[in-house]
Formats: sequence, structure tokens, C-alpha cells
Amino acid sequence: MAREIMRRKASDNVYLHKDFHGALSNGIQFIHEKYGAEAVREYLCQFVAAYYAPLKSEIKRRGLVALKDHFENMYRLEGGIMRLACSEDELRLEVEACPAVTHMRQHGHKVAELFYETTKTVNEALCDGSPFAAELIRYDEGDGHSIQRFYRREKS
Amino acid sequence: MISCTDFIPAYSELFKFLDKQGGKAKVVEFWNYLSDNFLGNLRDLAAQHGLRGCWMYWSRTLNEEAADFTMELDDEKGELLFHMRRCPSKGRLLEFKHMTPYPDYCEHCDALYRRVLDPLGLDYRIDLSHCAEARCEGVIRRKKQ
Repeated sequence: MAREIMRRKASDNVYLHKDFHGALSNGIQFIHEKYGAEAVREYLCQFVAAYYAPLKSEIKRRGLVALKDHFENMYRLEGGIMRLACSEDELRLEVEACPAVTHMRQHGHKVAELFYETTKTVNEALCDGSPFAAELIRYDEGDGHSIQRFYRREKS
Repeated sequence: MISCTDFIPAYSELFKFLDKQGGKAKVVEFWNYLSDNFLGNLRDLAAQHGLRGCWMYWSRTLNEEAADFTMELDDEKGELLFHMRRCPSKGRLLEFKHMTPYPDYCEHCDALYRRVLDPLGLDYRIDLSHCAEARCEGVIRRKKQ
């Protein structure tokens, strides 16, 4: 076939390009190599403060249910299996296998040593300035299986 | 985890972070790093199939990115044209009211892809003069022997 044409409108497809996980992993690795681990955390905090500003406002307004909605939506989109339990004071989620890590492993992309910071630091930064705190209880670097917990800080 | 649907703002903020650390030169260094370490799929397809390999690569990625585009492959002429009516990345960044894109955001395409294709005998040109409206067009030509 000498000549081929492909025309697409945005509405023809669903927006889901999982290779982006590999690009982000490379970004994290690059910062780590050039500026160290603390710089990776600094970058992720900058990203959360800028992009997730509306979500952070929602957490302050609606509490942990805003995070519950966020995670349910994210893992549904990415096709990840997770179990979630939410109360007013605690949100606990167990992710069977991280869809990002799964995709990278399947496609031969290197998973950055600090890739788990996209869970740990991002969760902590989401809680920053709210009545809640985040804790990464378990993270398996092989498949990204994780147990994540958000809880109400004790009033001082 | 950061969803792949949230990657574009993370990418733009990464450029801002690197620019703050080491200026535009550090951003360009990252683009070169990403091109060398991440675009093996495009490199392999283009090395094996030439222009058609580029067609195969972008046929998948642009559909997954839900781009609004036309792509035209003319094998006899040795040309692959692309016309992006609404870039899914820049378009997405422009939609956000609460954050601004890295000013030279669109230059990453030129840096990443040219670096892969040029050594394979493929000349990559992109016109970014309308990138502020999330539009661009470009051509990849088989270089004359």
C-alpha cells in the first residue's frame, strides 16, 4: 500500500496511554541521578501543590471521601484491583498490583528505584495542610502491591 | 501512583523543576536522556520498517492519547505528514485554569523524536508556530542517499 491516511477526532478514542508511566519513571530516575532522593520528593510535592490543588481543597472540604473518590476513579481507569475501607477518620486501601508497575514490567521499561515515591510522597503531599496524614504501610517493589493508609491527625 | 491520565501536568511540572535547578539546558538534557532511554519502541520500528515504522508507532500512541489528528503516509514519495488539530498534551494543559504549562513545553517533541529518527536516515521537521493553540504540523522524510 503506497499511500495511507488516518483521520481521528479526540472523541474517537478513550484517553489512556499507559506508556506515560515509563516516561514518568525516567523523569524520577533522572532527578535522582542528577540531584538526589530529596529532590525527587521536592519535585513530587511541587507537582501535587500545582496540579492537585483542587483535590487538596476537596479533602479539606469533604474529608477522606474526596480521596476515596479520587482513588476509585484512578484505579477504575487504570484497571487496577484494590480494596478500600473508608470512615470519617481513616481510609485504608490495598492495591493488589500497581497498574503503572505492571505496565512497565510488561513492556520492558525500567522502574525507577524511587518510583514508590509517586505513592508515598504524593499521598503525604495530598494531606499536607489538611487534618489528615498518610502512611505507606507496605510496598512491594516487584509488582507495586501496596497498603496505603490515611488517618486523622491527633489534635495537639 | 500517579495515573497516566495525570502524567501531562506531571511532565510539565518536571520541566519547570529542572529549569529551576539548571536552566533550560537541564531540561534539554532530560529530553535527550528520555529519547535515549525510553523511545526504544519507536527506534526499533523505524529501524526495521523505516517510515512505515513511524506510522505504526504513532498509529498506536496518538490513538491511545485520543488526539485529534490526520496522518498521511506516502511511501513512494518517502513522506509521513501529520497534522495535529488538537494536541492532547498541550490541549490538556491549556484547559487547566489552576496551573500554567512550562513555556517551552512543545519543544520536547522536536527534541525527543529528531534524536531517534535522524541517525536512521529520517528527517523529522515540526512546525510549532501554532502550539499556543495546541496545534502543530510536521513531516518525516526519508533522506536522499
